[in-house]
Amino acid sequence: MLFGVQIMITVQNLTKRYGKIIALNTVSLTFSDGKAIAIMGENGAGKSTLLKICAGLLPFEQGQVTIDTFSIVNQSLQAREQLGYLPEMPELYDRITGREFLYYIASLRKLSNAQEIIESLSKMIGIEEFIDYEVGGYSKGMKQKISLLSAIMHQPRNLLLDEPVYGLDPLASRTIQEFIKKRQGATVLATHSTQLVEHVADAVYFLMKGKVVVFDTVENLMKQHGTIENAYFYYKDGKHA
Amino acid sequence: MLETSRLLLIDSTRNLLKKMKTSPILYMFFSAMLFFSIIMFAFLTFVILHTETIINFIDVFFSVFFLFLLKSAADLHTYYITAPQVAYSLSTHQLQRRTIGQIVLSILLINLGLWFSFSILYLLVLSALHINVNYPVEYLLFSINIVNAILLGCTLALNFFSSKQYRLLPTLLLLLFCWSSQSLLFVVCMFPLVLLQFFWSLSHALDSYRFVKRKERLKERIQATLRSPVGALFYRESTVVWRERLFFSFVSMSIFTALGTGYLYVYGTDLFIPESIKDIIGDFLPTLFVFLGSYIVIMYAAVFPALNLFLTEEKTMWILRSLPVRNQTIVYGKTTMLGLCYITTIPYLAFIPVFLGGSDLMFLSWFLGFSFLAAVIIAVPLGVKYVGKKSDILLLYSVAMVLFILLSMIGMGMNFFRSSAPNGMILLLCLLLLLLEFILLFLSLKLSARILTKQATQ
Repeated sequence: MLFGVQIMITVQNLTKRYGKIIALNTVSLTFSDGKAIAIMGENGAGKSTLLKICAGLLPFEQGQVTIDTFSIVNQSLQAREQLGYLPEMPELYDRITGREFLYYIASLRKLSNAQEIIESLSKMIGIEEFIDYEVGGYSKGMKQKISLLSAIMHQPRNLLLDEPVYGLDPLASRTIQEFIKKRQGATVLATHSTQLVEHVADAVYFLMKGKVVVFDTVENLMKQHGTIENAYFYYKDGKHA
Repeated sequence: MLETSRLLLIDSTRNLLKKMKTSPILYMFFSAMLFFSIIMFAFLTFVILHTETIINFIDVFFSVFFLFLLKSAADLHTYYITAPQVAYSLSTHQLQRRTIGQIVLSILLINLGLWFSFSILYLLVLSALHINVNYPVEYLLFSINIVNAILLGCTLALNFFSSKQYRLLPTLLLLLFCWSSQSLLFVVCMFPLVLLQFFWSLSHALDSYRFVKRKERLKERIQATLRSPVGALFYRESTVVWRERLFFSFVSMSIFTALGTGYLYVYGTDLFIPESIKDIIGDFLPTLFVFLGSYIVIMYAAVFPALNLFLTEEKTMWILRSLPVRNQTIVYGKTTMLGLCYITTIPYLAFIPVFLGGSDLMFLSWFLGFSFLAAVIIAVPLGVKYVGKKSDILLLYSVAMVLFILLSMIGMGMNFFRSSAPNGMILLLCLLLLLLEFILLFLSLKLSARILTKQATQ
């Protein structure tokens, strides 16, 4: 139990290497129900790698990852059942339309009420205008919106978001932040945006060179350091920026 | 001074070395197949020389010339026209045409490297077969013309991917002159003109980059509906085949292959074979032409799409991997699309009896079906194994060679069997072979799913 609530995602002693480089070095983290937990760190700290491993996209050398008590390695189908994942730079199929892509995902997830969900979410996120155009002609932000919608359309208990507001217009960015705040289940945010962390996250992990250096609530960190940015530099360099 | 060229060459070399390190078996196999092809060509030259078969040297020259022309056009498309990283060098204070010129220089060096290594290997094998290869002037002229071919290929690509395609006209005229001259020396003399129109094309080379980078928003008819997982995967794959117009190009290729094969079936023996050996291989040749025609149809209707089912999914694999879908379902769903590709071979079967007559149609239909399944059995697991390795040309070549050997053995065996066994027996054997293939197909798809699972956990 963390924050007095149920733990949804557990990462234990996880090690991931890219050749000789250690991307994650025996890290252990937990993400609990109803909480948005951010992961911050410099480029190459291992944030995206961690999310990819939790989504079952990357193999790892050592450790254990469980989603809803299901191992991502041995019970990966059950684990992915209640998982939504948004990568940092989503690549989509160019020759199908946004709507076709969402129906494709809904079909693979066997969602019965796909039409209503797609209609309401596309309005919420602001993609109705271009949803019937081929994805190949989309801008970066449009692709991000479609991918985000595909990650949340089955209302997953666990949501892994890698830079969720990257490339989004201010209105869409605000809508997503509101959505994260209100949602049930565990939300994991890998981000560089201290502003996003301050607005939506309940707690934050600082990841430096593949190791967790601190885990605390956003409230505590703000109390101690004034801003999340100050806290980040404090734990990174040992002093405030 | 030549920063872009140097960087591109370093990048290409490192890429090649990295791929060789990560897929050593594939590269060893490819090298073996390449070596085998060169020896086969050298041996073919040996046979041609010893049977007094009339082969025009200029035809050989133009085949190699057009091969390098197409290769360099494709290279320019990869290294410049669609390369996202070029944006960085184009945005510096360097003259943009100089940057593009440096890219062409790299393509020139890469392709000349290939030309010299392959041609020298070929000449070495020929000299080992005691054939005189002492023609230094011809070799020099040939090599200069390879430079011509590379420059013309780059020019073609620059003007083809542009809003002003009429600029292709000088290049096409030049190619027409070269072709109609039927002379090695004449093509060499064209070098200044080739250079001139290359520099002219270079002066507006940025148009191609801008033209390809423009984004068109294409609205499609709403066809979105909920399907079963296999149905959804089939729909996604087949949509690409429709929208990329691949289906129609496969169908038209089928028709042209049938016409070409039929023409060679009727006239091929008289065209290529000297009277002295007509009695020995004259009867065998029409069958060989039909075999080659069927092989070509299988190559583009089965091998190419079957390999690309997974091979081109490198960047979009995250979509499928993050969903609760069994790898077996993914493999089955994607593979069902190949049924659509099989339909494109029907025009070949419909046109070929015009030349062959109806008697062999049943056997040809069986052979085409057999070859199609064999191609799928080999190509799908290899495509899964090398997803994201970007070794599609190597794989295509390797699968093509394996399939060629396998199908020629089966074809020869069946032809022999047909001439000596009763019809009932042949029918039974055909059915048994198909049954065996279906079992192998099932195992191949199982293996593909297993490889997909392994990739996620290792």
